[in-house]
Amino acid sequence: MQATKSFERAFLRQLLRVFRLSAVSYKSMSLQERKSAIKLSADVAMASARGSRKWTRGLIAKLSEEDEHRSFLRLILGTEYERLTKPCHGSWKIPRSKKIVRRSLRVCSRRKNNLRAPHGFKSSVLARTLVEKRTHALKRLVPGGESLDGYSLLDEALDYVISLRAQADLMQKLLTTFEASKLSALSKCTLPERKASFVGK
Amino acid sequence: MGSAGSYGVGTGNSGAYMTEIAEPIRFEEEIRSLIQARFDAPPVSGGSFTALLGLSANQAVGLLHEPGAGEVSASAAASSPTGLGHPLGWSPTFPSNAGLAERAASFPVFAAADSPASSSGGRPSPQLKAEPSDSDSSPPLPVPIDKPRRPAKRKDCEKQKAKGPAKKLKTAEEHTEDDQLPYVHVRARRGQATDSHSLAERARREKINARMKLLQELVPGCSKITGTALVLDEIINHVQSLQRQVEFLSMRLAAVTPRIDFGGLDSFLMAECGPLAASNGRGEVALDPVSWSSDPAPGTGQRTDLRPSQQSSTAWVYPYGLINHGTSLFGYGAANSVCMILFNSSYPVLYKFSCSYSNNNFDLCS
Repeated sequence: MQATKSFERAFLRQLLRVFRLSAVSYKSMSLQERKSAIKLSADVAMASARGSRKWTRGLIAKLSEEDEHRSFLRLILGTEYERLTKPCHGSWKIPRSKKIVRRSLRVCSRRKNNLRAPHGFKSSVLARTLVEKRTHALKRLVPGGESLDGYSLLDEALDYVISLRAQADLMQKLLTTFEASKLSALSKCTLPERKASFVGK
Repeated sequence: MGSAGSYGVGTGNSGAYMTEIAEPIRFEEEIRSLIQARFDAPPVSGGSFTALLGLSANQAVGLLHEPGAGEVSASAAASSPTGLGHPLGWSPTFPSNAGLAERAASFPVFAAADSPASSSGGRPSPQLKAEPSDSDSSPPLPVPIDKPRRPAKRKDCEKQKAKGPAKKLKTAEEHTEDDQLPYVHVRARRGQATDSHSLAERARREKINARMKLLQELVPGCSKITGTALVLDEIINHVQSLQRQVEFLSMRLAAVTPRIDFGGLDSFLMAECGPLAASNGRGEVALDPVSWSSDPAPGTGQRTDLRPSQQSSTAWVYPYGLINHGTSLFGYGAANSVCMILFNSSYPVLYKFSCSYSNNNFDLCS
């Protein structure tokens, strides 16, 4: 399963655009600040290139928690920002009383255990706990995953993994490109020779 | 909690499930061919099961292939006497919809098995899990109950499942000669419940298992692992490592960026690609095996990458002039032009960078 070409192209376009817009300010930042700015721009570019998914909304929501990022996001995304931050139909959490929820969970689990595990220690209970733990961990990893149920969580995780992989690939290639161009800038004298050999071959 | 419960059950049976995936494909084809052949099913008469069918045909098809769960059969055995209270005329019916076949085919369970299923789809064997219409004999529903109720042990369930498909196939072949039936009795697997709740649960579990399989294919080294918890472990590790990778790369980019002269980068791109665009078409370009786009065949990809650059040679001229006129390089216009170049030629620029410089083995036009 691969990321689509249009996604990669949109991603690159957004990223380069962000780099150009903020290249001026990059010179006056420290390394750490630059790193977080670049990470932020990469995340924003990825989310905007992907479009409207649960995890993109969650990601943008997480990034907009800080005010300074919010103006940056607004600048980058433009009109999309409003569209993406608007709560979509599935993510409205119905206000529930915690006490009632806890009690109902207890009753449900007791009933389940009585029905299905009347005799002693059941391996399925252990398996269920293990899986639950990992599900919670995955929910914390995938942006916006807290309010998703099992199936949509896996769906979003799938999409997120594909996009993350594309992001890492793209940044890697961009890095080699920049480093190469830096090298060439340093060795400008040899450039005509290279060009000649280029054409002559 | 439904999802957790389904995970728990799936964990224990995932091994059995994997080996059985070949079996359900045949039944799915049978059902599909049956549905295509029948167009005048009488309207459904009652029963939550039919409502379930009307609700989502995909789930219904998937229900028939669900591997049994020990716990489910135990609870089902407890609740099945109530199921017997159905009237004799009760019959589940597939909605008379030819589109059902397509929907069934698009059911995610068959994503992995899609090619074999679809390639041999439409096999004309009208086998089905059906009782003859004039069955004064007991309807299919009590049949699972007649079988000896076993304790909810997984091994027994697997034995039942192994026998089940064979038994059903035999009975199906018996009815091959029968004419098209006015309604279809859907027979559940041996030892399983046809309770609507458990069916819905089973359908959900099917969906989740399908997604898990996709994730397993995605994460490297995960296809050999059986068991939901371990697979989830691997997925979590993979996501964490990807996130760490992105952070590390952003730090390296931060180290490189201040010394990047974006203007210089532009002119470099122009300089490098101008002569190349002029001399294009001559021979192969030995591209890096790490290809930019998701081309599975880099050999063929090379050719197609060169050709667009021929056509877009005019695109080179414009930004070259743009740079020479000293336009602001931080404006969106320059970014647009660079992007245009990169896109028009499907990033051969980046290819050549990585080829020629970082790998020191550039072997351009032969």
